[in-house]
Amino acid sequence: MAVITAPAEQDTTSRSHPATSPSERHVRILAATFMGLAHLTVLRQRLKGALFALVEAIFLASIPTIAGNVAGLITLGTPQPDLPTKDRDHSTFLMIDGVVTLAVVAVFAAVYYISVRSALTEHRLGGAERPRTIRDQLSALTTRAFPILGLSPMLVLILFFVVVPLVFSTLVAFTNYSSPEHVPPANTVDWVGLDNFATMFGGSALWTGALTRVFVWTTVWAVLAVSTTFCGGMLLAIVLHESNIRIKPVFRAIFILPYAVPAVVTMLIWRNMLNGAFGAVNKTLIGLGIVDQPIPWLSDPWLAKFVVVAIGLWAGFPYFMLLTMGAMTAIPRDLLEAAALDGATKSQRFRHVILPLVLYQTAPLIIMSLAMNFNNFGAIFFLTAGGPTVADTTATGAGATDILITWIYNLTVGLMHYNYGSVIAVMIFLVLAPFAIFNFRRTKAFKGEL
Amino acid sequence: MDILKARPWMGNLIVLVGLSLAAVVVIWPILYTLGAAFAPGNSIGGLSAVPFADGFTVAHFLHLASGTGYPRWFLNSFLIASGTTIGTLVLASLAAYVFSRFTFAFKRSLMTALLVLQIFPSFVGMIAVYVVLLRINGLDTLWGLVLVYLAGNMPYTIWLVKSYLDTIPKGLDEAARLDGASHLRIFATIVMPIARPILIFLAITTFAAPWMDFIFPKLVLRSPEQQTLALGLVSFVSDKNNDFTTFAAGAIVVAIPFIVFFLLTQKSLISSMAGGAVKE
Repeated sequence: MAVITAPAEQDTTSRSHPATSPSERHVRILAATFMGLAHLTVLRQRLKGALFALVEAIFLASIPTIAGNVAGLITLGTPQPDLPTKDRDHSTFLMIDGVVTLAVVAVFAAVYYISVRSALTEHRLGGAERPRTIRDQLSALTTRAFPILGLSPMLVLILFFVVVPLVFSTLVAFTNYSSPEHVPPANTVDWVGLDNFATMFGGSALWTGALTRVFVWTTVWAVLAVSTTFCGGMLLAIVLHESNIRIKPVFRAIFILPYAVPAVVTMLIWRNMLNGAFGAVNKTLIGLGIVDQPIPWLSDPWLAKFVVVAIGLWAGFPYFMLLTMGAMTAIPRDLLEAAALDGATKSQRFRHVILPLVLYQTAPLIIMSLAMNFNNFGAIFFLTAGGPTVADTTATGAGATDILITWIYNLTVGLMHYNYGSVIAVMIFLVLAPFAIFNFRRTKAFKGEL
Repeated sequence: MDILKARPWMGNLIVLVGLSLAAVVVIWPILYTLGAAFAPGNSIGGLSAVPFADGFTVAHFLHLASGTGYPRWFLNSFLIASGTTIGTLVLASLAAYVFSRFTFAFKRSLMTALLVLQIFPSFVGMIAVYVVLLRINGLDTLWGLVLVYLAGNMPYTIWLVKSYLDTIPKGLDEAARLDGASHLRIFATIVMPIARPILIFLAITTFAAPWMDFIFPKLVLRSPEQQTLALGLVSFVSDKNNDFTTFAAGAIVVAIPFIVFFLLTQKSLISSMAGGAVKE
């Protein structure tokens, strides 16, 4: 349990102090009126105050831009059919600029909050402990600023490349951003409220049918992928662990191979080997006289589903095999010896000591693996590309083995139905949310606190 | 069970047969690809089902080296993967150090946000990533791609390194601070060396993902000289081309370093995975 008991920089809010002295209220009002004002005036922290004031000045100066961008996010531009295409309002850009602007405003609000807190902290410290000269202030600032310097690169990255995209794709679900009539720059995109959700969830038999089919298959795939790879991997690990065959290391080395080969390569090899007419699998089966007609591995909808799970097992079992092996080596030896002394047989030791411990250790990873496979793009895309086609594939872009994430790919890259793609993205968020909460609670449980 | 007890070798035989069958299924596609890489001809239709039955040629490897963009793709993938690895290590360990050793405003909310963001695959927001890169002139550039990977790596790796740093006693860096060392100095000379095991583990895992990623390069990189290995390999066996033997040769070149590496490190791989299972 790594509980943070002695933080290097003491959090000053936890110190006892007179809560409402009049001068504290004075500081609070000054600090809240204009960023850095309290630092500049009563606290005599000119350097820090100037920096805070500069931030606020820049923010105030850019209010027209901010207002423009937010307005753009609200209107998403107006149709201008008479202008040349490149001069028309570009709804997607307006939207992304609006989302980025909101993110910047949120950062500014956080800095504002920090500046007020900083002013109150300085005030509580009292005059004696505050650095007087500019030089002392500078050195105090660089020390205090270390957390900010350390965190800001990753915060900026996450804000622009993770948070903004997630917000953006959620917002698109509420627009009509789709081919052929609403694709910038030729046309603008409009907010349509919950129309897309209505279409996908019951409004259109075509789309609702496709969504239900793909969602059910995605869930079935995730569950089968995890359960087969876990059982297969654990079985091999245990057999290798318990048996006394002399060439065990050879088998272990062979069984690690699928884990070492990149997934793209694995799936493309299998796709070619399972090719109906030319594939090595059919050639072998025919050559051995097991079948006399080529088996349509990837062109029959049900067979393709089976193949996807089977190849998923091929590619995925080494992960759980290694995990089980690791968990078994981590079992304290004296525990097993104690069990043996108490007269437990080999199978009893396995059932009552090894298995529960292995399960206990790997259970969180099984659950996370479920979330991972729910979005396992590579396992589907490179093997079957979502195919074979079924009745509604031409209209909806969803093939027989498409899962939600590959369907999004088809919808956006192929059909340019960004609106429906985003509805599915929102659906994925909702499905993954319990996993996120699980991840959170698990860490909390293990760590005691954040 | 009685038979097995009376004749222990029967049990071993059954296990041996079972393991051998599994091993054949595992190794068949790999041998087949190896055979295809050295087989004459191009299309999969001409290949025999038995590996190495068609003869032996290194023509495909020569073709890869001179007749395709393979060397260029290799270089690009290497630059992207190593850029991502170095960037991730530096930024994530710096942030993890701050999270592990400092108290500041919004710390709890930031940590929670990182934990939640781990779950959402960043390519769900593909369109937005595309537009953001377009806005900063990062499309069709390797650094643009590296930025995307860096951002995607941050939430998980920061948590991983932070959990590790939490287990390192704080007495060490506090002693150094009393001696007047700056935060950056403590970070670089005391904390990082201690965290080396986790950083090595992280370096390997962060290198492998962008090395063979397909979806983001497909989105971001356009021009022929900016292609990566995964894009190139897929292009050999896409719907338009059917050049399986060249693909096989290229795949072998990509996979062999991984296979050698995994076989050499399997012991520590197993224990590090066990560690991951317990610690996280």
